[in-house]
Amino acid sequence: MSVIKTSPNVPSRRDLFRLAAAAGVGGLGLPRGAAAAGVTLTFMHESSFIKAYDTYMQKTLVPAYEKESGNKLRYELLSVGSLQTRVTTAAETGQGPDITLNFFNWPYLYNEKYIDVSDIAEEAGRLNGGWTDSVKEAVVVDGKWKAVPFGNVGQLMVWRTDMFKAAGINAFPDTWEELYAAGVKLKVKGTPLGFELGHGFGDNHGWLYPLLWSYGAAEVLPDGKTIVLDSSETAAAVDYCRRLFKDTMNEEVLGWTDPNNNKSFLSEQISCTNNAASILWFAKNDFPDMAKMIAHAQNPAGPKGRFHILAPWSHSIFTHSKNQAAAKDFLRWLMNPKQLRGWLASADTYYAPFLKAFDTDPMWNIDPRYMPYRDSLATAHLPGWPAPVSRETSQSVAKYVVVDMFAKACAGASTREVIANAVAQLKQIYGQS
Amino acid sequence: MASTSASLSSPAAAVAGRRRYREFFEREGIFSWLMVTPPLLFLAALVGYPFCYGIYLSLQERPVAQAGTFVGLDNFVTLAGDPVFWRVAANTMIYTVVATVLKAVGGLGLALVMNQVFPLKNLVRAALLLPFIVPTVLSTIAWMWILDPSFSVVNWTMINVFGADKPGPAWLGNPTLAMISVIIINTWRGLPFYAITLLAGLQTIPAELHEAATIDGASTWNRFRYITLPLLKPVIFIVTMFSVIFTFSDFQLIYVLTRGGPANATHLFATYAFDIAMLGGQFGLGAAVALAILPPLALILVALAIYMRRVG
Repeated sequence: MSVIKTSPNVPSRRDLFRLAAAAGVGGLGLPRGAAAAGVTLTFMHESSFIKAYDTYMQKTLVPAYEKESGNKLRYELLSVGSLQTRVTTAAETGQGPDITLNFFNWPYLYNEKYIDVSDIAEEAGRLNGGWTDSVKEAVVVDGKWKAVPFGNVGQLMVWRTDMFKAAGINAFPDTWEELYAAGVKLKVKGTPLGFELGHGFGDNHGWLYPLLWSYGAAEVLPDGKTIVLDSSETAAAVDYCRRLFKDTMNEEVLGWTDPNNNKSFLSEQISCTNNAASILWFAKNDFPDMAKMIAHAQNPAGPKGRFHILAPWSHSIFTHSKNQAAAKDFLRWLMNPKQLRGWLASADTYYAPFLKAFDTDPMWNIDPRYMPYRDSLATAHLPGWPAPVSRETSQSVAKYVVVDMFAKACAGASTREVIANAVAQLKQIYGQS
Repeated sequence: MASTSASLSSPAAAVAGRRRYREFFEREGIFSWLMVTPPLLFLAALVGYPFCYGIYLSLQERPVAQAGTFVGLDNFVTLAGDPVFWRVAANTMIYTVVATVLKAVGGLGLALVMNQVFPLKNLVRAALLLPFIVPTVLSTIAWMWILDPSFSVVNWTMINVFGADKPGPAWLGNPTLAMISVIIINTWRGLPFYAITLLAGLQTIPAELHEAATIDGASTWNRFRYITLPLLKPVIFIVTMFSVIFTFSDFQLIYVLTRGGPANATHLFATYAFDIAMLGGQFGLGAAVALAILPPLALILVALAIYMRRVG
């Protein structure tokens, strides 16, 4: 990114950038111009499954930002799975990075340790056609944006067109029942389905919550306290899941964590799984012939509709940051389509943006097979929906209440038993036992 | 003269002073405290403080990154009504008891073999330590591959050599097999600790005792039963105590391999506490789960101590 040369009397872009940051600092009661120039920001991220995405940040965006702002930016990469522990440590000790990446409902969990970034989010929305409504479930806490979301790592159906064709199926099934019928044929052919039913981070929630919702069931009502899991709709979903497991999958899926389905799919053991777009990305790099036969589809519909899991990634600024104004300016700069487009495109649209202006962005032309990830956003919700995000919904997810309800049924327990067990857990979580 | 006398008396006084200091510090009551204080401070800072802070947290309603409120024993009452907690408690007991027994028996056997004279003895003894030396996460990932039905060498052997049906057993997918698998892996990892420690104990047993018993016509079993085992009991007690503590609070193996699945079949206290505190953001409740380890662990250790004292 080049810096426009100007005459000494005309402010340069860098000057404007500094002025904007200073204005932000002024609003916080700090001396104007004290925060912007020469500060070092630490921007904490978890290593992406898509290496090009981190490389683009390190090689393109960091130098561009440093050149424009005069600040230093440390892009601190953590290993996969370790981010939440670091965020917790930073939030608890009041020390550490200025800006962090968030997943799922973290803006709610760490609400008190994150500053209000409504101005950045609202400005980004205003300039980019508005935000997809569903993302507000994850980042707006008590009416304030506590994080600026940038992309959803959706969990959709990843399937092998050639294996389906070999079983006489030419298009991806539109309903769960059609998927069951297809799965039976595929298992006979030695290419079963494989959906995670173990204790992973996301690939289990990714299809089991949508399955529950698509049968019209839920854990709790929108009031956030009335437990409604014990219903005929839940029973129907559990019965369906048991059939799907028994007749279309192998037993191993009960013990899978998140990497297992990727391994199994890429080693051609299964014909379909529920996952992020990372499988296709890896296949394109390592198994180009197989990649040609991989397609994506939205989750099948149930009797009450089609649903997806909301898996949003967002950025927050810690209250302990001494460079809050500069951090806000950095996020504002990052959310500018000029920066954001290139960053998201570097990941082959692995992160589906929530800004509506991006729905028709050329980045989607990189590979139209990613389109279902864009289209799924309209029907995506956080685990625990339709209840608002709360400590109770977080605890339910941490205790795998819904996942284990389905898993226990698949392992042989009766529908009545697994629902009663899940309801008992929910009552304990919601303080109603 | 006065100055000369001062200069003469000064070194003598200094020597006397140094001697007094030395005698003071060399008194048993002083010297022992001097030696013990640094490790005590170290333990207080790195063990005592976290432990007391854990107790403090367990008595609070303490969401992550928020101020806590004192709730007394509410968290423990909540856990008493939590079906998963009782499942976790049962899992932990089974995991600890079975793995410890396997490690004790296997470790003793291995130590007895290693105590014999054979070629490349030292090399084999060193190799024995490998499972203990390799970082747990690394060896667990290897086990993950060994047990993965798609790539498992075990399943491949069962299918191709013994004609089992494809895809073979789901070692980590079937709840019972998953528990058996993690117990086996824990045993594999902990066996060298037992074996090497018991081997050290075996080498302290005087050979004359065995020679005398042999001359008196004692059989191999009787020599083991009446000489080796009684003399080894103090070592067995110590190593078992350590093993119980390590196994009871195991985290890495489960976290890497199953994260407590399938359907909580392998969830242990440590993994459950982590999930509640870190993923669920409930520090108070998480600390209560972690602290719940204490009473059963103390009971096991006390029972073990009483047993060893009686039979020892």
